[in-house]
This record gives sequence, C-alpha cells and structure tokens, in this order.
Amino acid sequence: MSRIIVVTSGKGGVGKTTITSNLGAAIATLNRKVALVDADFGLRNLDLLLGLEERVVYTAMDVIAGECRLAQALVKDKRLNGLVLLPAAQNRSKESVEPEQMKTIITALAKGYDYIIVDSPAGIELGFRNAIAAAQEAIIVTTPEIAAVRDADRVIGLLEAEGVNKINLIVNRVKPQMIEEKKMMSVEDVIELLGVSLIGVIPDNELVIVATNKGEPLVVGHKDSLPAIAFHNIAQRLEGEKVPFLDFTSGDSNILNRLRRMFGG
Amino acid sequence: MVFEPSLSTDNTSDAPASPLVSCCSQVQIKHKGDRLLLVLPQEGETNLELPWSEVWQELKHLLKRREQSWQPETSVCLVAGDRLVDTRQLQTIAKTLREVELKLTTVSTGRKQTAVAAATAGYSVEQNNRANLSPFISHGQPNSTESLAEPLYLQQTVRSGVEIRHAGTIIVCGDLNPGGVIIAAGDIFVWGRLRGVAHAGARGNRKSRIMALQMEFTQLRIASTVARSPQNLPHSLEPEVAFISNQGISLARANDFTKTRLFSPSEDSWVRTNN
Ligand SMILES: Nc1ncnc2c1ncn2[C@@H]1O[C@H](COP(=O)(O)OP(=O)(O)OP(=O)(O)O)[C@@H](O)[C@H]1O
Ligand SMILES: [Mg+2]
Repeated sequence: MSRIIVVTSGKGGVGKTTITSNLGAAIATLNRKVALVDADFGLRNLDLLLGLEERVVYTAMDVIAGECRLAQALVKDKRLNGLVLLPAAQNRSKESVEPEQMKTIITALAKGYDYIIVDSPAGIELGFRNAIAAAQEAIIVTTPEIAAVRDADRVIGLLEAEGVNKINLIVNRVKPQMIEEKKMMSVEDVIELLGVSLIGVIPDNELVIVATNKGEPLVVGHKDSLPAIAFHNIAQRLEGEKVPFLDFTSGDSNILNRLRRMFGG
Repeated sequence: MVFEPSLSTDNTSDAPASPLVSCCSQVQIKHKGDRLLLVLPQEGETNLELPWSEVWQELKHLLKRREQSWQPETSVCLVAGDRLVDTRQLQTIAKTLREVELKLTTVSTGRKQTAVAAATAGYSVEQNNRANLSPFISHGQPNSTESLAEPLYLQQTVRSGVEIRHAGTIIVCGDLNPGGVIIAAGDIFVWGRLRGVAHAGARGNRKSRIMALQMEFTQLRIASTVARSPQNLPHSLEPEVAFISNQGISLARANDFTKTRLFSPSEDSWVRTNN
C-alpha cells in the first residue's frame, strides 16, 4: 500500500519545498520508492532544490493535457535510486488545473511507489485544494512563530473538514538559543496549540541553505549534519520506527547532550 | 461575604459596529421528527448574501462536526427559503450529504426557479412563502427573550479561521484557538482552553455567560459589552466564568460563581448574593 502525503503550511516560506525534497531523499535512502509531486504550479522550485531542473522535459500539466504519458514526465534522480519527481508547469496558469485532475494523476502514480509526497503551494486557495485532493495524510510545516502557527491551525481545520485526519507536524527553523531566552515559542507550545502529533523538529541551520543552492539534498552531501539526521529520523518515524527526538537545546559544550545526541539521535 | 477573586477586565466602550450579527446567517441543521432540516442562510437576515462557496464550506464543516448525531440514511429536507439554489448546487449538496450517509429527499423553497430545479432533479418540493418558514427559522431580534435553539454540541477544537454562529447555547468539547470565533445567542461553554474570540448573548441577552476550563481569550463579548484580554495578567489555571457585572465583563472562579452571584433583572447584571 502506498502512502500519499501532502506537505502543507498555509503560510509561505516556512520550508515546505525544503522538507519535501530532503524528506523524499531520506526515505529513498531507506530503499523505498518515492515520487515527489510539485503542486506549486507557476512557482515551481522542487526541481531546483533536487538539482533536477535541467532534466525536466514534461510536466504534470502535459500529463493532464494528454500530451505525454505519466511515465514520460517523471524525472529520475541519479544519485538516489527509487526517487523520482513529477514537475509542475512553470508557465501555465495554476487556475487551469482542477482538484479532480490532480487526484487522477496522483492516484495513478501511487501504483508504482511506496510514498507519494506532494509539495503544496502556500495559501488555502485552488492550488492548495489541488495539492490535497488525493492526500490520505498530511505533514504540516510550521516555524515557531505566531503567524505561521496560526496559519497551520487554519490549514489543519481545512484538512479535517476534507477528511484528512492523519496529520503529523514538523516544526522547522527552530533556534534553541532563542527558545532558551524565551524569545521564540517552544516546540511544546506549538504542539499544545495545534493538538496534532509531532513527527520532527528541524533546526535552523545554514547548511540547509547551502544544500538548497547546490541542488543537493542534505542526506546526500552532508549526511552527518544535524539537519540531515533530523530528516533521516523523520523518514524512520514515517516507517513506523520509534526514534527519540533530537535534543539540540544546549550548545555543543554540554557533554551530556552531545552523548544523548550520539546515542539518541 | 464570600471572597471572590473577581477581576474586572479591560472593558472597552468601542463596541464593534455590528456586534449582534444575526445568528441565522449560517447553515443550520435541526432535527424535526424523523428527518433533518438543513436550513440555508436567508437573504433577508443579513444585508449581504453569503456567497455559495461559503455556504457550501460551512455545510461541509457542519456535517463533519455533527456526524454522530443522526442515523444513517436519515432523510433531509433542504430549507432554502428565498435563496436561489440551482441544479448544480443541489447536486453538490446531495453529494455532500451522501458522503455522511444522509439522503436529500425534499426541498422547501419560496422561489419558483429553485422549486423547478428541485422537481426536475427528482426531489419532493415544498413551496413556501416566507411567512411559512418561521417554524424553521428563528428570526433574530436584539434583546428579544424568545426561546433559543437547541444547544450546539461541537466535538472538536475550533481552529483559526473558523467562525461558528448559533441561535442557542454552544458547547465545545475542545479548545477555541486564537483566530477562531464563536458567536452564540445563549451561553458558551468551552471544555478546554478559550484563546480566541467568544461572544455570548449575541442577540442582547446580558444574562449570558461564557465558561471555560482555561480563560486565555483574545476578546470576550457578552451582549454588546466587550472585554479585551488584560495585558499582564497571569492566566488562572482554574475554570472561570465571564459574566456582566456592574463593572462590565468580569471573571470569577467557576466553583464560586453559582454560590456568590445572582442575576438581578433590575440592574440588568449579575450581582453578589448577600450570604
Ligand atoms: N531549517 C532551515 N534552516 C535554514 N534555512 C531554512 C530552513 N528551512 C528552510 N530554509 C530556507 O527558507 C527559505 C524558504 O524555504 P522553502 O522554499 O522550502 O519554503 P516553502 O514553504 O516551500 O515556500 P513557499 O511557500 O514559497 O513555497 C529557503 O531559502 C530555505 O533555504
Ligand atoms: Mg515551496
């Protein structure tokens, strides 16, 4: 049985595309077949983050329009076996895609893959409805900021109304230092408000930006970095394993935390 | 006299322009005999007609929340009143109802076009003029003491962006999150944290109360009185009641409230009992 998961947030720029690409890569390293779907029509950049831009020939729009077969539009990742991308069109208006059409292609795609991960655009309009049309479960991405959490809450309500009840939460761009100084909401505050289960916490880390610019998922180029471990752990949790959460609350000076990180993380 | 940690909140006199939003401007579901009535918002109630897309969204939300309160295959009468409903919209409603195992059988309407559309689609039609609708729809009048609708029982957290209006008391088994709004003609109970906006007695009943396990509201309104969240006040960890006292909206420990407060019709507010 394949799983169709939408990655969504309401608020823009909180890390949906970053998480879709890195999580997709992390799951692929567990020998699972993963198809990533870019549902951000008009503003696509999942191909960029994966370093696959120059290999895009056809897009989801061409499949919908019947101009190519689904298999032709899929771009295979050379570094990671089992990872493919279904790109979004860059030029066509997103208004020309309907939720039913998205549902049809994603359902067709699901036959050949263990995971379908859909990168949703920001907002709650048509693009969002297209992205969630086929979803059986969702990963909500938020940063520990009031506005992002508020939007995440709204999106969770919309997903529940659509019958998507399996919802996991990723808190991205966490800065332990700021939380300790009480300048940032803690992960606990976020979970308490949203009332959904936490599947991962990703630190704010410049390697994420470096990897983005290189078009190389962290689990490929910086396998041992903290954010890469965080993504790897999320992949394992999706697979049903119990992995303790990383503790990056104190700096590296704290030996106990470092040990905990080595064994627990 | 009994000590009561009643604290008057920061009352603002600048009540919003139209706090008494009609409680009928939303989709309602009512039991009547062995069938359900699905009442669409009426044009006349508010000046602006609620767009179809919103009516539909609201309907979907409502059905999701109330799913447990009927038998499968219960027949539904759509009370469209003077609202125009076309064939496609009827189909959408029927499909949405089918998803929760309800069966659209009858359409009650005051509009000829809607009646035709419904009959063509094979539904029974009850044509009504507006006056005949009154058993279905309580027409909201500020300060009226008319009877309230049966309480609305919500089994879920009310999340940001959701606004719930009901012509009676509202009970939420969950939280009211920031960005969420509850407007009730009667009382409001939140069995959880109240962090959004709650408006009780929305038709003007000053006796209405708002109760929550944890009061962390953004704003409370009772009748036409408004209280903003006090800035630096520590939140009480105990259940509290908000009510109208002679100082505006006050908060009291829920445990003490019934023992120490009494509604005085002459003062039109809750006063202390003298024991
Ligand atoms: N954990 C992180 N640490 C540092 N930078 C991050 C992290 N996560 C995301 N970013 C950066 O934040 C920016 C926005 O990320 P991304 O494009 O993934 O967000 P998005 O939610 O997909 O945005 P949009 O809503 O526009 O689609 C990017 O520049 C990305 O590199
Ligand atoms: Mg994006």
